[in-house]
Amino acid sequence: MKKNITKKEFLKELRKYEKGSTTRREFLGRTGLGLATAVFSAYGLSSFGSKANANIGDRVVLATWPNYHDVNNFENFKKQTGASVRVNVFGSNEEMLAKLQAGGSGWDVFVPTNYTISTYVDEDLIEPLDLSKLSNYNAGSFEKRFSDAGKVNGKVYAVPKNWGTTGYVVNTKHTKKTPTTWKEFWDLTKTSFSGRTMVHDYQLTTIGNALKYFGYSFNSVDTKELADAEKLLLECKPHLFAINSDYQPSLRNGDAWMSMCWTGDGKQLNSDLPEMTFVLGKEGGELWSDYYAIPKGAPHRDAAYALINYLLDPQVNSKEVLAHGYPSADSRTNALLPKSLLEDPILYPAKDLLSALEFGAAVTLTDPNRAELMARFKSA
Amino acid sequence: MRLYAYLIYFFLYFPIAIIVFFSFNSGKHASDFQGFSLKWYPKLFDNPFLIDAFNTSLMVALISAILASTFGTMAAIGLNNLKGKLRVFYDSLVYISVMIPGIVIGIATLIALVTLFKFLNPLLANIWPTSFGKPPLLNLGYVSLIGAHTLFTMSLSILIVRSRLNGMDRNLIEASNDLYGTPVKTFLKITLPQLFPAILSAFLLSFTFSFDDFIIAFFVAGSETTLPVYVFSSIRRGVTPEINAIATLILTFTILLLLASHLLMKYKNYSNKGSKK
Amino acid sequence: MLFPASFWFGVMLILPLIVITIFSFGERAPNGGYIPSFTFDQYLNLPARFVAFKNTLTLAPIGTITALIIGYPLAYYLVFKVADNKKNLLLILIIIPFWTSILIRTYAWIFILGSKGIPNLLEYVGIENLRLINTSFAVLVGIVYSYLPLMVLPIYVSLEKLDKRLLEASSDLGASNFKNFINIIIPLSIPGIATGCMLVFILLMGEFLIPAFLGGGKVFFVGNALVDLFLQSRNWPYGSAVACSLVIIMLIIVSIYMKFINSKNNREEVSII
Repeated sequence: MKKNITKKEFLKELRKYEKGSTTRREFLGRTGLGLATAVFSAYGLSSFGSKANANIGDRVVLATWPNYHDVNNFENFKKQTGASVRVNVFGSNEEMLAKLQAGGSGWDVFVPTNYTISTYVDEDLIEPLDLSKLSNYNAGSFEKRFSDAGKVNGKVYAVPKNWGTTGYVVNTKHTKKTPTTWKEFWDLTKTSFSGRTMVHDYQLTTIGNALKYFGYSFNSVDTKELADAEKLLLECKPHLFAINSDYQPSLRNGDAWMSMCWTGDGKQLNSDLPEMTFVLGKEGGELWSDYYAIPKGAPHRDAAYALINYLLDPQVNSKEVLAHGYPSADSRTNALLPKSLLEDPILYPAKDLLSALEFGAAVTLTDPNRAELMARFKSA
Repeated sequence: MRLYAYLIYFFLYFPIAIIVFFSFNSGKHASDFQGFSLKWYPKLFDNPFLIDAFNTSLMVALISAILASTFGTMAAIGLNNLKGKLRVFYDSLVYISVMIPGIVIGIATLIALVTLFKFLNPLLANIWPTSFGKPPLLNLGYVSLIGAHTLFTMSLSILIVRSRLNGMDRNLIEASNDLYGTPVKTFLKITLPQLFPAILSAFLLSFTFSFDDFIIAFFVAGSETTLPVYVFSSIRRGVTPEINAIATLILTFTILLLLASHLLMKYKNYSNKGSKK
Repeated sequence: MLFPASFWFGVMLILPLIVITIFSFGERAPNGGYIPSFTFDQYLNLPARFVAFKNTLTLAPIGTITALIIGYPLAYYLVFKVADNKKNLLLILIIIPFWTSILIRTYAWIFILGSKGIPNLLEYVGIENLRLINTSFAVLVGIVYSYLPLMVLPIYVSLEKLDKRLLEASSDLGASNFKNFINIIIPLSIPGIATGCMLVFILLMGEFLIPAFLGGGKVFFVGNALVDLFLQSRNWPYGSAVACSLVIIMLIIVSIYMKFINSKNNREEVSII
């Protein structure tokens, strides 16, 4: 698991730690001593950790996506800090934004996607993070494009959680040939998979992947291109099983055979049921990264920081990744993961597939035409 | 005919039986029975959010039922003496608030209050004396929740109490007035006891409505979570048998309550008959 | 006496209704929300939700009538065919489901209608690949299931009030049971039928949960459109316009209905509760 560290490297790290250029957590993480500490603190032996978390209250509310955490980590967090984690699940960024815009969401931590962060800052809904309270966050250990997306006007508003792709999962028991493109996804929906396909209740991916059928950009707001996508969606609507972002239950019980799917759900399904194959459309689609952020007026702010910090701990984070199957951009976390996972084609798609993907664009979140298109599709 | 009735009772109770059955599931997914277990029940009491949601629901339902039955009774009596256009106006308000779908009430209250707070909060911050500390930040929560629930249940109470009021024996009130009873005394001794069953049923209905309401709370509860809102968000991420266990507990509690009231009534009838002899 | 109620109506009913009326003439802010303006655009855009209105205005009456057809015989059975000592128990049994969270009861149907439920059983008798869940049929089952008690109780009350001597007299004069039913029982139970239908219909017009759970996001009511407009596209003005239209449509339907019922039944003023 953990790469062995040479004596020289160890001394180098130790010196850095003594000089104060490395935090304790980083030091432990890099030297591999973190594992021992984690074991101790799990048994309540680490006075260091418990003191820091003395007064964070007994609860923290997290708004996140379906199947996106390891529940055991929350239980350990409770053991360590006394704070229970309440998980609220949302299926689209629009829904999170709407909740925060209406005020009084009661959330302490939420998980927005990269392209929405600037809108939250514009709308004055999130606060810059106090990085001194996030000792486990080390921007340097993240790929620059991931850590930078959490910054607006030079201030850090959000820290990276996981990244991933949006493809689809198909139950290969019901098809002779495994599809490879978005074109096949929509064509199958209209033919042999009629009544068995699910799409997200989320305009970005549902409209985006319909746009890919025609080879348009995933983020298009062009009227003509959207009209084509709408025609396809309306044509497919009678053939859908459901429009829902929480698709695992229906896929598992056999009601649905194919669904738009995020990396981790694909991994989770594939691990339990090998016939569930995760496909990235050759035409492209979405590449995304999610972040932890704290809404303005969070009722349990200390607990919010404690929870984010806890989840950023490479030890904890690696357990998260093992449970949910979404890749982490944190090199310290990846160092703790088994090699097989780091080479998993679902988590880390081949270069040519990956290079066709696009990040969501801020304009798609607020574009009224896309929102209306989605509503027309759902009500049709 | 009897077979038909049994079929309907089966239709009504089959889903409930399924809920109860899966609450004893040892597996993690609600619809995949793995074996018998009671483990979800103690877990309920270990979940502070669930306990919170339950307490919130209980409190909101209790307060709004008290407000609704009190104000509703007052209004029903007040309306009885009201004639003309004003009466028509109030009557239509009562009917409109019963008829408007909960979802519209929820949405309208949400945007009205959010807009109002956007305007009031800066105002409050400006005029708030600094010696009082930080100015309060108005937000959605208990008050908006109780307010919205009480609107509907109060109108319901007005209708219930009024129909009783119409069927009441007016002679008694007139007799009391003739015998120089003060209006207050007449009210306490004659009107109120006669109205009592209606007020009680208004209270119970209001409580039930508020406790089970999801859609209004979904919009106006703000950072508070009622039990139905909690259940809704749990269902969205796939139900664990925990939800089934909550439902089973509430169901058991309800049945016990109904049974107790039934026995109480029986006992009362019995002792009444006894005293008549 | 009227002060608390007046205050409540003012703040919680009149104010919100005025606000959504004003909002319905406004414009959507770029990031969602509301910009003051005076435009009829929102109302002109209503046809975009035509299907939601159509679904609601077809499934609500169908659901109401189905509940009536299923519920009436039950009420009749309870009043005329059950011994008095059993009546209370059977009546309470109708009320109890109402006390269990409607959310959870609806959720149970997802399982029953899902492929491991009824369709699985039907495969044994040779009907394969039947899909029930996420269809209009599933939504209808959910509707009837949830609102049946609300239909049965008012009808029960009106049948219970019925003077049984009328029936005896009619039978003595040689009328058959069927004639009795058509000529006496049904006309006299109209107030109960009217109340039950009105209750169920009103609740159905604002329904959100049942189509959301049993329709899989495919069977779309006005309630679902409203939730999406406020919680997804954040289009407050348009949402307000849809909400106002829903209220107006309901008021029209209800007043026509009441006029109709009252003209048929002039003995007793029918109230909706």
